[in-house]
Amino acid sequence: MSALLRRLMYFLGRSRHDADLRDEIEAHRAHRQDALERDGLASEAAARASQRAMGNVTLAVEDVRDVWVSGAVDQLWQDIRIAVRGLRKNPVFALVAIGTLALGIGANTALFSIFNGLILRPLPVRDPGRLALLTDGSWSYPVWAEIKARENDLFDGALAWSPQRFDLSRGGESAIVDGAYVSGRFFEVLGVSAVRGRMLTPADDSTAAADGRVAVISHRFRREHFAGADDVVGRQVTVQRRAFTIIGVMPPGFFGVDVGRMTDVMLPFAAEPLIKGQESWLAAVDSSWLEVMVRLKPGQSLEQANAALRGVQPQIRAATVTGVVRARAARYLTSPLTLASATTGRSSLRTQFETPLFAMVVAVGLLLLVACTNIASLLVARALARRRELSVRMALGGSRGRLARLLFTESLIVAMAGAALGLVFAGWSGALLVRQLTTWESNVSLELVLDWRVLGFTAALACASVMVAGVAPVLGLRSVAAGEALKDAGRGLAGDRRFAVRGTLAVAQIAVSLMLVTAAGLFLRSFASLSQLPLGFVPEPLLVAELDLLSSDAPIEQRGPRAERLRAAAAAVPGVRSASLSRVSLLTGGGWGANRVAIDDGPMPIEDRSAQRLWRNATTPGWFETMGTPLVNGRDFNDGDRVGAPLVAIVNHAFVRRYRLGEQPIGRTVRIGLSSGERRYEIVGLVGDSVYTSPRDGMMATMYVPLAQLGPTAFGETVVLTINAARGQRAAVERDVAAALARTEPTVAFSFRTFDQFIDATVTQERLIAMLSSFFGGLALLLAGIGLYGIVAQAMRTRQGEIGLRMALGAQPAGIVRLVLRRVGVLIVVGLALGLAGSLWAAQFVGPLLFQVETRDPATFVGAAGVLVAVGVLAAWLPARRAARLDPAAVLRDG
Amino acid sequence: MGLTNTPSDLLPGTLELLILKALRPGAKHGYGIVEHLRVASDDVLRIGESALYPALQRLLLNGWVKAEWGTSENNRRARYYTLTAAGRRQLTAEHAEFDRMVSAIQRVLAST
Repeated sequence: MSALLRRLMYFLGRSRHDADLRDEIEAHRAHRQDALERDGLASEAAARASQRAMGNVTLAVEDVRDVWVSGAVDQLWQDIRIAVRGLRKNPVFALVAIGTLALGIGANTALFSIFNGLILRPLPVRDPGRLALLTDGSWSYPVWAEIKARENDLFDGALAWSPQRFDLSRGGESAIVDGAYVSGRFFEVLGVSAVRGRMLTPADDSTAAADGRVAVISHRFRREHFAGADDVVGRQVTVQRRAFTIIGVMPPGFFGVDVGRMTDVMLPFAAEPLIKGQESWLAAVDSSWLEVMVRLKPGQSLEQANAALRGVQPQIRAATVTGVVRARAARYLTSPLTLASATTGRSSLRTQFETPLFAMVVAVGLLLLVACTNIASLLVARALARRRELSVRMALGGSRGRLARLLFTESLIVAMAGAALGLVFAGWSGALLVRQLTTWESNVSLELVLDWRVLGFTAALACASVMVAGVAPVLGLRSVAAGEALKDAGRGLAGDRRFAVRGTLAVAQIAVSLMLVTAAGLFLRSFASLSQLPLGFVPEPLLVAELDLLSSDAPIEQRGPRAERLRAAAAAVPGVRSASLSRVSLLTGGGWGANRVAIDDGPMPIEDRSAQRLWRNATTPGWFETMGTPLVNGRDFNDGDRVGAPLVAIVNHAFVRRYRLGEQPIGRTVRIGLSSGERRYEIVGLVGDSVYTSPRDGMMATMYVPLAQLGPTAFGETVVLTINAARGQRAAVERDVAAALARTEPTVAFSFRTFDQFIDATVTQERLIAMLSSFFGGLALLLAGIGLYGIVAQAMRTRQGEIGLRMALGAQPAGIVRLVLRRVGVLIVVGLALGLAGSLWAAQFVGPLLFQVETRDPATFVGAAGVLVAVGVLAAWLPARRAARLDPAAVLRDG
Repeated sequence: MGLTNTPSDLLPGTLELLILKALRPGAKHGYGIVEHLRVASDDVLRIGESALYPALQRLLLNGWVKAEWGTSENNRRARYYTLTAAGRRQLTAEHAEFDRMVSAIQRVLAST
């Protein structure tokens, strides 16, 4: 050991060491010259002669270096060669061990790299530690304008942005990309500079921008839409049907400040009025649609920044209070503005996926434990099988320490190969997992970088695996004595202590596997119950197109007639059974609500934001029929229900229950409270219940009004066209409807969706958990099965002689199998008992992730135990049957 | 024997044994060790630098000697080697082993 230490010291002080040696050799020569001079040689001749006598100094220095370095390298190299040779002699073992570990480490690394990308990794900008986000929620542009006016007094600059989905099409089917409106100093404050052209400046973010309408694009966007062209700066890009000039390309790796979202196109806020026209939100004090971040001054703490901000809060709030309902104004003025650290950016995915991600990290950790146990078991078996070889090595003078190092090197090689393969697997499966998060409405893009955190994590896992898996065989070495194995070569009577060690490992495996399988069962049942929830309409034949009416310069008043023309065009397409319009599409997560509702002459309640809002929708006649929602009583809307006619409404059963309308709702009056007074509707129809934002909320009380009775200015930017077509014809219908819409109005933009996509998006989290946990559960099951199989097969081999003897004495094959199964049965039962206790305890933590499934759902627990018993019995039965079929005579002869 | 003895001319480990022995009376520098061996062997053993220094490094590596810079009798800077306690033990052990080997070899040569 101390030689190793001296080697290390040498290695660290290499250059000084070499210099010392050269000095020393020169001193040697000088001494010789002195001696030669003493013998009477002239000084010059003595110098020459001493030089000659030196020989090759460089070679000497090289030789010296070899003394220090090559020995250690040689030994290590020898260890590695022997270990690799040992592994190659038994490729099945090597492959199973490395593969098992690669899966275990890979799954862990994949999840960790997502965790890292989403939660740990700082934003790729200058000094992200000084960024702070104005919390809670979004802000209006006037609030931002107030903060911007003070950005340099209070902070080292501030920035604002508003995530948007931009449509790049010129009309027809939408081509949606993720984009954002950003403030003029967005890039400057973040410290991000362009790789091509220039980034936005405050001059671009003003109404009188010198360069006109400008945009910056991401590196990825340049690659995918312009084939990486070098002359992309100066080219045009169409955003929401307006042309913008590209002035710069963001650096690769910069995605914006929303983690999990690739912001491909950024426009200055000044572009918003160009796109939205008179509906622009720049001046609106009651529209909160942007996020604000500040950069702290050097040395400024978060507390100091908060204090500074709150110092000017009254001015900021007062300047933006106009229009806020008076009742809320007091609260608005006093609720404190708060900054929170934004080193890692902002992400809406975090809160959504934090708990499931954590649960999965625990599950995958357990999986790695099963994998390590398996490898430990394999290594122990291998060490036992190599007792002969090891004891020969010992008899030939190999020290115990050296042999231990050999075995350890072997584990290390397995672990390193596993970790390396695991990284590959992680890169692939991590990207696959991230893709699962993408839905029709949000495109999740998370760059999974192999940074030092991920690599460190993987290395730590590999080391931990070596510790867990590699120690057991080394400990086993203690029982190997020199030459001992030579004596009882292969004739050991089994049923001994070593079997017990592996038995313990098997019990642990079964227990942990049961926990994972139980969790998978719970999540699957949960997902199943979510997927089977009643919707209240028939989604299969439906095709949904969201029409973007902002796409034309036509005045807002024209939107109603335009929408009706488009609907009629779609309805005329062959194969379309019906086509109807609505203001809101169900199951998109969005909604149109009312807070203050009264029935007949009842008192109008005051606003209660905590109460469930009454959901509303506006539809054209025939919408219920298109959706497949039954009209129970009264009538549907008709062409007579238009502006000027008495306001009418249709309600559903849930509405009747919620507002206690009793048996006869038709003819009663619903009153909706608005800031400008109230509006009265006569109920003319009753329809069946349906879901609204998400199936998991159940049937919602809903009130429907005729789309035609919405005032001309109340018509939104978008309207939803729902088409009912036979299922097999959907593709053709989609194509024909698209053509019909484009013919009717060339500039209208639309995108087709199906309810499958909407429903998928509402269960992303559950689907992901169910998928992952089944994968982990299945893998654990497989590993446990392999582990058990290995143990039994090994035991059978060592007991071959005994079994042969028993059979020669008249034991039946079935009896032998029973004998084995009884022993394995004990392991399984103990493992199940432990696993059951663990599952019951752990179930409480998964409770919040379950839907309509008890955390201790008996069916799941029994099912999981049954699956494990089946796998265990199968794993034991296969080798047992093979052993029982052996010819006893042959076994005894070869013994 | 030739002019300069390379390790291959000696039994393995013999040069190290001789160096340890040369250092037994007290610290010496590299040239001093060579001279000591030459004089003590009546000019038979002339050790070259290319053999001496690697051998010295092996002794350093094993912790049997330690080295320090000092000034030599004729006022030159030189690196002095001293035996460590481990080196003393090693000398005793190797000396005994060497005697055993030599007498074995002699027995072989003396037979027939």
